[in-house]
Amino acid sequence: MTMAATATRSAISPRAAVLAYLAVSGIVLLLMMLLGLTMRLAQAQWINVQPDFFYVVMTMHGAGMVGIAGLSGAAVMWHFVRRHVPVSTAIFLTNLVFFLIGAVLILGAGFIGGFGAGWTFLFPLPAHSGSLWSPNAAASYLVGLMVIGVGFLLLHLDIARGILSVYGGLGAALGVKQAFGLAPEKDGPPPAVTASTMVLIVNILGILFGAAVLVVSLVNLYVPSFTFSALVAKNMIYFFGHVFINATIYMAVIAVYEILPVYTHRKWKTNWAFYLAWVLSTVFVLTVYTHHLLMDFAMPTWALVAGQLISWLSGLPVLLVTAFGTLTIVYRSGLKWNPAAALVFLGVAGWSIGVIPAIADGTIAVNSVMHNTQWVPGHFHTYLLLGMIAMVIGFMTYLTNPQPRYGFAWLGFWLYLGGGIIFVLAFLLAGSESVPRRYAVHVAKWLPYDRMGSVGAALAITGVLILVARFFAGMRAAAYAEDPT
Amino acid sequence: MTRGFFALLGLVLAAGIAALYWGTDGFRVVTSEGARELAVERSPRAVPDVALFDQNGHAFTLADYRGHTVLVDFIYTRCPTICSVNGDDFQRVLTRLQKNTGDRKIDLLSISFDPANDGLPALQLYGDRFGAEAPRWRIAVPADRHGLAALLKTFGVVVIPDGWGGFVHNSAVYLVDAQGRLVRILDPDASEQLAVATERVAAQ
Amino acid sequence: MNTRFMSSRLVAATGLWAILWFAPLRLALERDMAVHMIVQLPLLACVGYLLAVALRRHEPHWIAQGDWLGIPGLLLVIFATSFWMLPRMLDAALADPLIDLVKFLSLPLLVGLPLGLSWRRMPLLGRAFVWANFIPKLGAIGGLYLAAPTRLCAYYRLDQQAVAGWALIAVAVALGATWFVVVFVGWPAADGEAAQTCRAPQEAA
Repeated sequence: MTMAATATRSAISPRAAVLAYLAVSGIVLLLMMLLGLTMRLAQAQWINVQPDFFYVVMTMHGAGMVGIAGLSGAAVMWHFVRRHVPVSTAIFLTNLVFFLIGAVLILGAGFIGGFGAGWTFLFPLPAHSGSLWSPNAAASYLVGLMVIGVGFLLLHLDIARGILSVYGGLGAALGVKQAFGLAPEKDGPPPAVTASTMVLIVNILGILFGAAVLVVSLVNLYVPSFTFSALVAKNMIYFFGHVFINATIYMAVIAVYEILPVYTHRKWKTNWAFYLAWVLSTVFVLTVYTHHLLMDFAMPTWALVAGQLISWLSGLPVLLVTAFGTLTIVYRSGLKWNPAAALVFLGVAGWSIGVIPAIADGTIAVNSVMHNTQWVPGHFHTYLLLGMIAMVIGFMTYLTNPQPRYGFAWLGFWLYLGGGIIFVLAFLLAGSESVPRRYAVHVAKWLPYDRMGSVGAALAITGVLILVARFFAGMRAAAYAEDPT
Repeated sequence: MTRGFFALLGLVLAAGIAALYWGTDGFRVVTSEGARELAVERSPRAVPDVALFDQNGHAFTLADYRGHTVLVDFIYTRCPTICSVNGDDFQRVLTRLQKNTGDRKIDLLSISFDPANDGLPALQLYGDRFGAEAPRWRIAVPADRHGLAALLKTFGVVVIPDGWGGFVHNSAVYLVDAQGRLVRILDPDASEQLAVATERVAAQ
Repeated sequence: MNTRFMSSRLVAATGLWAILWFAPLRLALERDMAVHMIVQLPLLACVGYLLAVALRRHEPHWIAQGDWLGIPGLLLVIFATSFWMLPRMLDAALADPLIDLVKFLSLPLLVGLPLGLSWRRMPLLGRAFVWANFIPKLGAIGGLYLAAPTRLCAYYRLDQQAVAGWALIAVAVALGATWFVVVFVGWPAADGEAAQTCRAPQEAA
């Protein structure tokens, strides 16, 4: 079967479709960053926001950011995996359409319906709003997530179909034999295929559990006599949520594997350790979600202890091979730094550094003190804002990067990096001072951190605005260009 | 897309949604219990004039309650679980109704669906346990099988063996108005709503 | 050969239907909620599937043409199964032999038959999508049955309901595990079927 056999008669070229994903992601990213800034400004008492609206903003910010992390990650994954396996542009675009429909439902639930139960829609909170929102608003949110899930499921299944048609099985596409020395390393799959396979495995499972718990929540909303175990529901939600947000990093990291070799003129080394790392991380990502429940005393102790152990190990294998690979590929390569290379490099650094406070929080003794403080948004913003998003913006810059006039992009890069560091440090410092997370109103003692965070956020948003604007300026030309090589 | 696709799709969608709409009474109920409550609320049904006798051995018929509002429940006196709870609930409702409505005529009627075991002594014992005094609160059993069947059918009571020699049945409290119509099916656990609904019907 | 093939399937289908309708067996299968849901209902769908295999060649042209990628057919299956998943419909089938007969007719004709006709028309992606939606929803319904504090069916006890819930979850887990192993180890008949189904959308369009 050739690629031509599955190329659909879509009027939109695959490249234009990727750019459309990134355009939507860029716009939503900026809007969601502004919502984030709104929360920090409100906590800093520089603007006045009603507490119930604060939680609407928080819910929308969470759902929107997770959504575009998934969307832009999918764009990176699809763009590069397409080089190796046949995939359908029509399905890829279907996912984008489903995403937009879902986004409208979710935004309506929040800004019209007042839904503010947090993006994790913890059961049975959507049904117990204290009359802040109606069952219909909650249903709109849940159905919106479901529609987005359907789109992602279709996309993942289509990529899985493509991978299976070339590699026969997901085990072979992951490089299991190479990982255990049962087959020569040179016959192993390319990094983009290995990473995509891992993402497919974990995300399809995650989406299945997410769909199940969404069905349960929806039924409960309208037929309250149908109840469900809240603890089981929480397990399912965090399994889905944890897997989905982690998978976005594993999608985006493909950009590192594909972009750094272009600028360093070296090949990304795929040895047995690389494959073993991906195999191990596949298992870990599926089992580590229990670290979100370390504070739930109702969980069985063995599950919590296992969660702690695995969460120390979980991110490490792929992170280590990626960070090590990044250093070796860049070291003495004579790389001339440009914003695209700098952004994906920063992505690896932000991811690596962000994992350190995450591992601290994955320790039960620390978790029971820190988990409800700003330490947690501190660590996940480190590896999402300065890791995952850096890789995605690096990819955007790479696609629209034909001429070497980078002055403006460098300005955006430094604003984004500087502002981002101030922003996450404000969270981490406040967290270490036990400032609680998810509080709409802060006491005077906490205001310095909130103001520091607001300034950092404003700077980072300016930087991202420049980088995204630059992407839009170069988008038309990029639609007909080739990838830089 | 092929010719006839949208026609077929539309046909299936229309028929499917119509079937589910019909099957859930307009997307309102999924259980037969819910359907029964909704049906009674929408169109009250006349209760059959069945002959019964109570814990004092007095024979009476349901028609004797005309002009009174009656709360009915279905029991079997050996019941170790829900019926005793019902008994307690009834006791509480009775106290409250006596306080609120004074001498307005509201009566309670517990009907046994187990005539084989619930003879006069069993009814008396059950009545004594909850302080039920006829005619304000009768513990009764239908005089014959046909009457029992007619009652179970009209009230929508389903009785199945519990596997331990007893029964499982849909427990509810049935509100019959002064014209002898079953007007509401209520949750015995929600005693507040139960009392409010009863007072409203009695005041009509 | 074809007529013999056809008639043997028809005999098998009607025979299975008649056995299931045979009163003692019918009542025995319906006595327990889990058996009712996981044995009788799927077997009735099997009757329809056998019918589809037998009658495939005689499928009216307008159905074969309009059933693009098998989507309308699968939608019909989803509606019909959802309908019989309503607890009150299980109750109604037990309370009234006439409704039970409707169940005995609609499950073969509106579930098994369209499944047998449409499934072939579904591309691999569509089939995977159906499985991926079916499995978690089966599990979710099982979870709801398990956790419901009250009886959902007037004719079944709470403990039967819990057994049915566990049974549904077990079926969902078993299907999910099978699916996963198949995908991980390799797609059976990957070349022939995949190539064929991948091209199906263009041919149909």
